[in-house]
Amino acid sequence: MGDDSEYMARLASGDANAVRELYQRHGRALLRFSSAMCRSRQAAEDMVHDTFVALMREPCSFDPALGTVFGYLCGVLRHRVSRHFRQQRRWVALDMENDSSSAHAVEQSGPVEEIARSEITAAFRRAMLELPLQHREVIALCDLEELPYATVAGILDCPIGTVRSRLHRARALLTIRLASLELIDLQNELPLPQRGLS
Amino acid sequence: MNDNLETRALHPHIALLFRQYARDLAQTAPSSDLDARISALVAAAPRKYMLRPPRRWPGFAAAAGLAALAIGVGIFIGMRLEHSRELSAASQAAARDAAWPPADLAMWPTDSVSFKVPAVYSAQGTLVAVDPDSKSTSTRYWIDVVVSNDGTFRIERIVPAEQKNGGHDGVAPQVQ
Repeated sequence: MGDDSEYMARLASGDANAVRELYQRHGRALLRFSSAMCRSRQAAEDMVHDTFVALMREPCSFDPALGTVFGYLCGVLRHRVSRHFRQQRRWVALDMENDSSSAHAVEQSGPVEEIARSEITAAFRRAMLELPLQHREVIALCDLEELPYATVAGILDCPIGTVRSRLHRARALLTIRLASLELIDLQNELPLPQRGLS
Repeated sequence: MNDNLETRALHPHIALLFRQYARDLAQTAPSSDLDARISALVAAAPRKYMLRPPRRWPGFAAAAGLAALAIGVGIFIGMRLEHSRELSAASQAAARDAAWPPADLAMWPTDSVSFKVPAVYSAQGTLVAVDPDSKSTSTRYWIDVVVSNDGTFRIERIVPAEQKNGGHDGVAPQVQ
């Protein structure tokens, strides 16, 4: 099995099978990132699919000097997700009037059934999805995917300092939200085993 | 997790939630539907994408076409504006000209009679009509009098008799 740069070279030369290889290498991680960003499983998979379509259409747009192939794919996926939410905003604005309705939509749309196995994880996911997009993505990349800040900065196309400040702000927002949902106790730093956390 | 200030400052409950959620996310696997779509994408690639001509130049061509179209539209609009301005100026000139009466029109009734009356200054300083055939040595003037058919009359002008060319027929009427 070759490395990513070799696959990209093959893709640039017209070998479409390189896309399959790249999908097998990075598809799962991209789907994780996409699932953390999107409300439904179907939308998350659509974003991943669109990412590989974009890769296939413009294989030469990847510049190895700017980062890794996975970082490039994450950047493409991020743009797709951003566009997806911009388009959705026009059509689902009325549903946003009621927060509980969007929470139910998350629960019924599939990914929570598969991803969130406990009530507390489902509530955590809802709190994550209520974050603004730019805060959600930085948490997904830094805290969930555990990517280095330099890689995240490359994906988000911003300085590392911006990543740090955005992450700090995102965590603060998430903390406030989780405290309001009584998922965490800010006065007590001990874990809450009785709530199912391990 | 990243060993940095942000992570160390994270509340332990939240760190725990992150780990739990990341574990759940890690179990997410692409569905067979997504696998099939990627396979179809790869299978269709040679004719759908790979043989597609480069997509950059049509963008430039479209931009150039749009720019040319914008310039053409701008020129067309400019010509139309200039034309309408000329039309407007012409119509304004016509309206202005129409406000002035033509040369053959006057504010006075057309049925009027003008007289030229010879006159001289009297000792009282007034002009007094005299016989045109009298041999007076004082300076003679011609008084042009217009009498309209509505009963009004006016003195149009008084000129010294020397400035009149030719003779004068006294009270010869002229119909305007």
